[in-house]
Amino acid sequence: MRARILALFGKELLELRRHPGIFLPAILTGATAIALPFIVAVGVPLMTGEPLASSPQDAFVQELWAANPELRTLGPEGTLQSWMFRQFLLLLVLSPIAAAMSVAAWAIVGEKQARSLEPLLASPVTTFELLAAKTLSALLPAVILSVAMFCVYVAGVATLAGAGVALSLLTAQPLTVMFLLGPLAALAALQLAVCMSSRANDPRSAQQMGALVILPLAGLMVLQLMGAVPLSVSNVLMIVAGLVAVNVALAAAAVAVFDRESILTRWK
Amino acid sequence: MSVPALLSATHLTRRFNKHVAVNDVSFALGGGEILALLGPNGAGKTTTLRMLAGLIAPTSGDVHIDGRLVSARTASLARTRVGLLTESPGLWDRLTVRENLTTYARLYGLPSPAHAVGAQLEQFNLVSRADDLTAQLSKGLRQRVALARALMHEPPVVLLDEPTSGLDPESAHEVRALMRQLRERGRAVLVSTHNLHEVERLADRVAILRTHLLAVDSMTALRARAPGRRLRIGVRTDAIGYAASLGSETGLDVRAEAASLSIALDAHRLAAGHDGDTPAIVRRLVELGAEIESVAVEEASLEDVYLRLLNAPVERPA
Repeated sequence: MRARILALFGKELLELRRHPGIFLPAILTGATAIALPFIVAVGVPLMTGEPLASSPQDAFVQELWAANPELRTLGPEGTLQSWMFRQFLLLLVLSPIAAAMSVAAWAIVGEKQARSLEPLLASPVTTFELLAAKTLSALLPAVILSVAMFCVYVAGVATLAGAGVALSLLTAQPLTVMFLLGPLAALAALQLAVCMSSRANDPRSAQQMGALVILPLAGLMVLQLMGAVPLSVSNVLMIVAGLVAVNVALAAAAVAVFDRESILTRWK
Repeated sequence: MSVPALLSATHLTRRFNKHVAVNDVSFALGGGEILALLGPNGAGKTTTLRMLAGLIAPTSGDVHIDGRLVSARTASLARTRVGLLTESPGLWDRLTVRENLTTYARLYGLPSPAHAVGAQLEQFNLVSRADDLTAQLSKGLRQRVALARALMHEPPVVLLDEPTSGLDPESAHEVRALMRQLRERGRAVLVSTHNLHEVERLADRVAILRTHLLAVDSMTALRARAPGRRLRIGVRTDAIGYAASLGSETGLDVRAEAASLSIALDAHRLAAGHDGDTPAIVRRLVELGAEIESVAVEEASLEDVYLRLLNAPVERPA
């Protein structure tokens, strides 16, 4: 079983390597997600000549210091920069989701469109093996993209933001958001896209359904900015636990709805 | 002595909601045999092949491959015993010929994928194109790669869905040669096609399908069952007088064309094993004074047989 998953996984990676354009939406999303906080936290204060924090007595700064005493060392401006760069991390999570959806939606429907699914299904590969290979090959680029984007983000913060702000991003909360919440949200999106792709006739439909995962994340970001749901480590871990449950359910659903017969006989 | 069946279908039926795609199809196919599956578009040929390959389950009926029943539980194993060439080559266009074949060699769990791929590249004369992307190949070459893929795991049962469709004559010739090789190597080959000339040249038996099986038999037996078998006798002089006499005496359909007589033979007597009325007819013509120059039996073509069977009233199984 493992050999067949690896065989298909290898084939998927080869195809992705020769089709780099598929990552363009994800890279553009990531670039925008990276640029936006720099414009807000560094560019605007620089252009207007008005710093983010008017004084150390700023009520919001005091509030942040009370909740995160370790930020005191950054000073008022560094504290607000750190807060902003953490807020925008959720936006950065959208990038691997976009990557995963592009790959997943293309992975199944693309096979159907290329008429390569029937010979593949005529091989001994089982539905679980097929979906596992497709899912892994979509998840891997998403995770690599996550790491790459985060490295660029931190490097940018280290270069452009105040001293010590970059280090504040290498703490538990930002890391759990980037490396647990991000990949799990991406996995949920790609599993949703895989589920849809066995019913949809073109990659766009599957991709649009996968995009639904963005809605709760966007909502979460709004709530976080409003201060309604502070993304503390414990809150992130609760969301992560929820995403694990969602992913288990979606994995079962993906195998159940991946109906070989429907795909072969109904799709033209 | 009957050849043990490598592939058998028993009362195979497949419905898609209310639509019956295949109804009560039964046949068996032994090693070293080519069975051609003929039928109009929508007759259920591809559905039948998919059921035989374990791709879709029959609504009722059974498929046995190499004596083993194909079920949902055994379908994955059964697929290792079948080589299916799908209607479209279905290659991964962003991969090279070698990469396409290697992936399948691994999917089939072959012990040495590189060796198996090398052997297929040699056999199918693809060595020089091994590292080309399949998107760059001509239709004939793509079909060759698809065949190499379908046969790489050396399956005892080979199912080919329109293997020469759209190919140039040279490529089609190569594919037919390959089918003969497969027969010589003892494989059971089922080929779905619309090409009646190909069937006449290649198939040991013919199955004619229009949702249900209208006939499955050897070419000779099918021809013998069909009307249209005629005796052509060349005479030295004008044949009109002989035709009139012979027709009125025997009641046979006798036509005269210049110095030639065309006489419809009794299909039922021929099918029953009689050698027909030929000697009696020739003797009577000699008695009538005809100087016989040639005697030949004109066979009904497969096209005649096929069209006759398709246009016959449908007899639904009870």
